[in-house]
Amino acid sequence: MTTSTSSLSRLAKRPTSRRTLLAGSALGAAGVAASSAFAAPTLLRHAAAANEVTVWTSFTGDVELNAIKKIVDGFNQSQQDAEAKVVQVPSQSESDVTKLMTAVRGGVGPDVYLFNRPFASQRAADGVLQDLTQYLNGEDLSGNYLEFAFNECKFNDQLFALPFDTDARALFYRKDMLAEVGVDAAELDPAKGPITLDRLHEIASMMDKKDGNGSYTRMGFVPWFAQGWHYTWGYVFGGEFFSPEECKITATNEGVVAGFNYMYEQAKAMGPKEVQEFLSSVNRPDAPPAQNPFYTGAIGFMISGDWELASMANYAPDVEYGVTHIPVPKEGDSPSSWSAGFSVVMPQGAKNPEGAIEYMKYFAGEPGQRIYTQETSHLPTYKALLEDDSLFDERHNFFREMMSYSRSLPTTPVGALLWDELTTAQDKVKLNEATAEEALQTVEDRVQPQQQQYC
Amino acid sequence: MVTVATQQQSRRRWRPVGLTRGERKRLFLGLAFISPWLIGFLVFLAYPIYYSLKLSFTRYTGFGVPVSIGLENYRRIWTDEVFWQSLVNTLYYTGLTIPLGMVVAMLLALAMNQDVPEIPIYRAAFYLPSLLPLFAVSFIFIALLDPRRGLVSRLMRLVGLHAIDWFGDPQFAKMALVILAQFGAGQMALIYLAGLKAIPLTLYDAAEIDGAGIWRKFWNVTIPLMTPVILYNIILGISAGLQVFTQAYIITNGGPANSTNFYVFYLYNNAFRYSQFGYASAMAWILFIISILLAILVFKVASKRVHYEIS
Repeated sequence: MTTSTSSLSRLAKRPTSRRTLLAGSALGAAGVAASSAFAAPTLLRHAAAANEVTVWTSFTGDVELNAIKKIVDGFNQSQQDAEAKVVQVPSQSESDVTKLMTAVRGGVGPDVYLFNRPFASQRAADGVLQDLTQYLNGEDLSGNYLEFAFNECKFNDQLFALPFDTDARALFYRKDMLAEVGVDAAELDPAKGPITLDRLHEIASMMDKKDGNGSYTRMGFVPWFAQGWHYTWGYVFGGEFFSPEECKITATNEGVVAGFNYMYEQAKAMGPKEVQEFLSSVNRPDAPPAQNPFYTGAIGFMISGDWELASMANYAPDVEYGVTHIPVPKEGDSPSSWSAGFSVVMPQGAKNPEGAIEYMKYFAGEPGQRIYTQETSHLPTYKALLEDDSLFDERHNFFREMMSYSRSLPTTPVGALLWDELTTAQDKVKLNEATAEEALQTVEDRVQPQQQQYC
Repeated sequence: MVTVATQQQSRRRWRPVGLTRGERKRLFLGLAFISPWLIGFLVFLAYPIYYSLKLSFTRYTGFGVPVSIGLENYRRIWTDEVFWQSLVNTLYYTGLTIPLGMVVAMLLALAMNQDVPEIPIYRAAFYLPSLLPLFAVSFIFIALLDPRRGLVSRLMRLVGLHAIDWFGDPQFAKMALVILAQFGAGQMALIYLAGLKAIPLTLYDAAEIDGAGIWRKFWNVTIPLMTPVILYNIILGISAGLQVFTQAYIITNGGPANSTNFYVFYLYNNAFRYSQFGYASAMAWILFIISILLAILVFKVASKRVHYEIS
């Protein structure tokens, strides 16, 4: 102790030594900083290996992710030239690809991205995606896929994506709640065609329960829950959102206005604030899948897609439910539905385009789509698989048959903007803050100028 | 550049005279020492500011080549109703958060200034909430303000009030975010505390002799001497308020019905969701101009009311 203090005090009394100490530690710090600069390039480059294919996906659901991992394993085992790796990159909403765009700009983007197909042409127009024709060596894949899905992957006659899965929407109902209000499930048999919206609301209002404060504790049907999107109701009422011939956004089309009006009137009848409050508490954005209010019995009817078949098998296996057509405005109207789905794209600056295209052909081809259909109960866009009866059980068959009349979203380079604006309009209408005409006129006013650039 | 003007030289022309070797060496050493900061400033501040000004006169998706379109972006801003809504939302938020923040922080500071032995514990407790990262507090708030099961809703029901759907109701969503912002009051409170401690106790004694009660002492002694700190906090508050983003991004996504679509959030969406970098850059420059105008306004109003010395 004494020795160290005296040597320390000797050091303190000799300014030259203190300076040496300072200089030495400064050099050390600079050296550490400099060496980390050498480490940076290796840290930045994920695909250090030449044959690695980096695949990004924004999926967060276990069911879908596990299916994708299975496909990736299958691909890696089937050949030796490329090794695919999946990286999860969650995004904030359907139209948000910020992480992809900033990564591509910074030169650290992936080789393959799993992308929302209806918005592919918007991103192609932005210049984020690469034209795949150059890598396909003249191979024409269009005949393998459903026409609408393949068309969504094209922009300016160039191919920017390969279609992956698709889906269809229907009305799901809980058999227990139906029995509770004394309605026979046979009435909802899809073979009888769709029921009318009036009848649906008649049944649903019997299921509504309120507590002492006037808040809903259970609701029969909320039109905008789950897949009750603007497009759903617009198509139910026979509307058109976009006219490719006139290059015009037709949000104020008769059918679309009728669809939004339906939501407006329904909200008014049920009490817009009460419904919003109910949805906020049972349908939290960060809640795990098992807490879906339909699964827990808080909602009796829901419009959702065929992926629910696998999801309910996983998270709510004890719930007895049925599936039927989405209701129609008038007795005798034909049923409607719409399909979207995902695709695989190759962003600009992909480090391993050859490996990427091989992966994309496998993933979006027969092997990948087969696995995905089996695991997640989505529908394939690969025509041969759609005709393979072994892949579809009875319930899934119902969705498969919808493909003959299911609509698709408008293919336009401003698809993401159109989606967001329609969502804002739907928000206003379901809160009764604006009428259908006002809200939809705003959509047209805001999106048409952007659309004009591509006319 | 070092210029030397001596009595003998003409005042009209400042020509750089050669530096002596010593001066040149000192200049070089000085520049070398600040070069990391200088490079950082040029790369991360000066160049992006210049680049965004250039971009604001173009149409650019982030890829390819920017297409020059003149003042079109600024014209579009003028007629864009969502832009005006986002500006109103942001000013509303700032206008509520700053006064409320001042009051909360002042109360916290007064509480932290009490002369009790265990005051360090209380100071730590009051300061802790401001240490939580904003996105974590956002998630906490989603749970707290749940209209059915949240703590706040339960308390409201106990008192007989009908539960509010904070984040689902356009009228209340902004207010919920204003309340959320008060979690950061601890930082302002620390600065107020420093200001409080700088007030000499003799002034309070003099006031008491003149017959001042607690409120009088606070209003006529504490507040006037705290005005420099208050001004500082107002400026910081305006700057932070105009840039509110995280809460909108995490909790509300701009909704419901655009009621929490704040300026910077709308700017971000334009740039990254709709690939309109030119438009977003124009918005950024408009925000800059608005900030400068607000700062000038604040300083003008403050110049007569801020007392920097005890007179």
